Amino acid sequence: MNPLDLSLRGQAAAIAAGEANAAELLDATLARIEERNPAINAVVATFPEESRSMLAEAPDGPLRGVPVLIKDEWPLPWRAQRFGAAELLAPTAPGESGPYRALRDAGAVVVGVGNMHELGAGSTGNVSVYGAARNPWDTERCPGGSSSGPAAATAAGLVAGAVGADGLGSVRFPAAYCGLTGLKPTFGRSAMAGHHMEAVTTLIVSGPLCADAADCRLLGSTLFGEELAAGAASGLRIGVVRDTVSEDVTPEVDEACGAAIEALRTETGGEIREIELADLDAATLAGILIINAESLGGVSPERLNDLDPGISPINRGFLKYRMLLPAAAITQAERVRTLMRRRLAALFEEVDVIAWPTIPAVAPPLEAPLVELPSGTQTADQANVRGAALANLTGIPAISVPVGFGSEGLPIALQLQGAWGADELLLDAAEALERANGRRWVDARPPLAQAEPAGA
Amino acid sequence: MEAADRAEQFIPAGLASLRIEADEVDLAVMSAAHQMFWPAIRALLSLELGDLEPERNPDLSRAPEKA
Repeated sequence: MNPLDLSLRGQAAAIAAGEANAAELLDATLARIEERNPAINAVVATFPEESRSMLAEAPDGPLRGVPVLIKDEWPLPWRAQRFGAAELLAPTAPGESGPYRALRDAGAVVVGVGNMHELGAGSTGNVSVYGAARNPWDTERCPGGSSSGPAAATAAGLVAGAVGADGLGSVRFPAAYCGLTGLKPTFGRSAMAGHHMEAVTTLIVSGPLCADAADCRLLGSTLFGEELAAGAASGLRIGVVRDTVSEDVTPEVDEACGAAIEALRTETGGEIREIELADLDAATLAGILIINAESLGGVSPERLNDLDPGISPINRGFLKYRMLLPAAAITQAERVRTLMRRRLAALFEEVDVIAWPTIPAVAPPLEAPLVELPSGTQTADQANVRGAALANLTGIPAISVPVGFGSEGLPIALQLQGAWGADELLLDAAEALERANGRRWVDARPPLAQAEPAGA
Repeated sequence: MEAADRAEQFIPAGLASLRIEADEVDLAVMSAAHQMFWPAIRALLSLELGDLEPERNPDLSRAPEKA
């Protein structure tokens, strides 16, 4: 097999065994980006000279010589992050971010920067200063956001793994839309240094986007700075909630996720328990309010009156609207956070994971990111955030796992959420799910990833 | 219409008090955001949480301490 098409762990093992040449792999990766990226606009910067320098100095770590993409959300020593926007409202400069250091110390090679939804403020990836990223499964569809580029690039086989960030679902949505596995770590476990909101955020984490759970375990271990040991996930107690997040979804999502939950139960010899988790709507709003309040640090009216004209109209308006959010609502949001953390702590005495669809519908069109749900037509952002915000609000880990395809050939995904620190268990459960369905969904590749270059 | 009417009062007044400038497009986006968020914010503020006090400097990497 072409080393480019190996898994992340396969590339690492091939290089370590001397079966693949890391310099050749880097050159081939850069060539593939040049070849395939125009169709998906996933990679917004490459820097061959710096990448080759990283390779030349790479230590003998678990990812030695493996090319990895990083989201436009952290600085690199030779490039400041742009956050997918014409301007960032926080100071930014080139530097050694936490994810960069983690990758470097593991021997990985940062091969490029991934596109992202402007200012991280969207679940679709169709708004960016670089232009929309596109979904490799259908380039007229949204790749998901805000980690749009890392997901699209990995799904299209430009790289075998990428680093994203998740503040309200921004690793899980693009993983789901692009048919990947994406881990939103427990708050504080993964590298965050250098992020322009690191000092104030209580929601955002870095996380891996890869084809499957084993690759997420490897890249996650790098970001965590500790090995995420594998376990069995036997006798898994799976909690399911009968609420909007699980019921206001398209029939094909409902069917695929229901089948996956049953398959997971069978594979692990576990059980399914119906659980109550009230006030999910309040938790979602609390997450939205808190992240918006946190991102206002240092933003003055004068600053908002002098925005770069390249900022999209929707974010220009919403940045100004944020200033009008009532302080009482932020305070109430913090109380809701405490309420939900206590409820989850009690629930995780009864179940090991909570399962519901990552996304209520498959990837919508780039031109009109709307979804048709039983409750009616909604923006994808409105619908998606309902299932994602709880994990960010409370700090718990969550993972999105591909579990099928809809009638239009677009991926469907199940989300598993676990107790604080149960990141390893979620990876174990994702691997159990892969076994249960014969790796059918994690091994599927979009047509773009199967294409050979002209003349090959 | 009712929500839009409120937005027509709330948003210009809020912006004026902070001396934030806005053009027609900004106002249209803000009006849409207001219609989406304001009913939910009102519901959130009305949520009866008894005497629940938020955790002080919660360690979000861990479960909360027992109340």
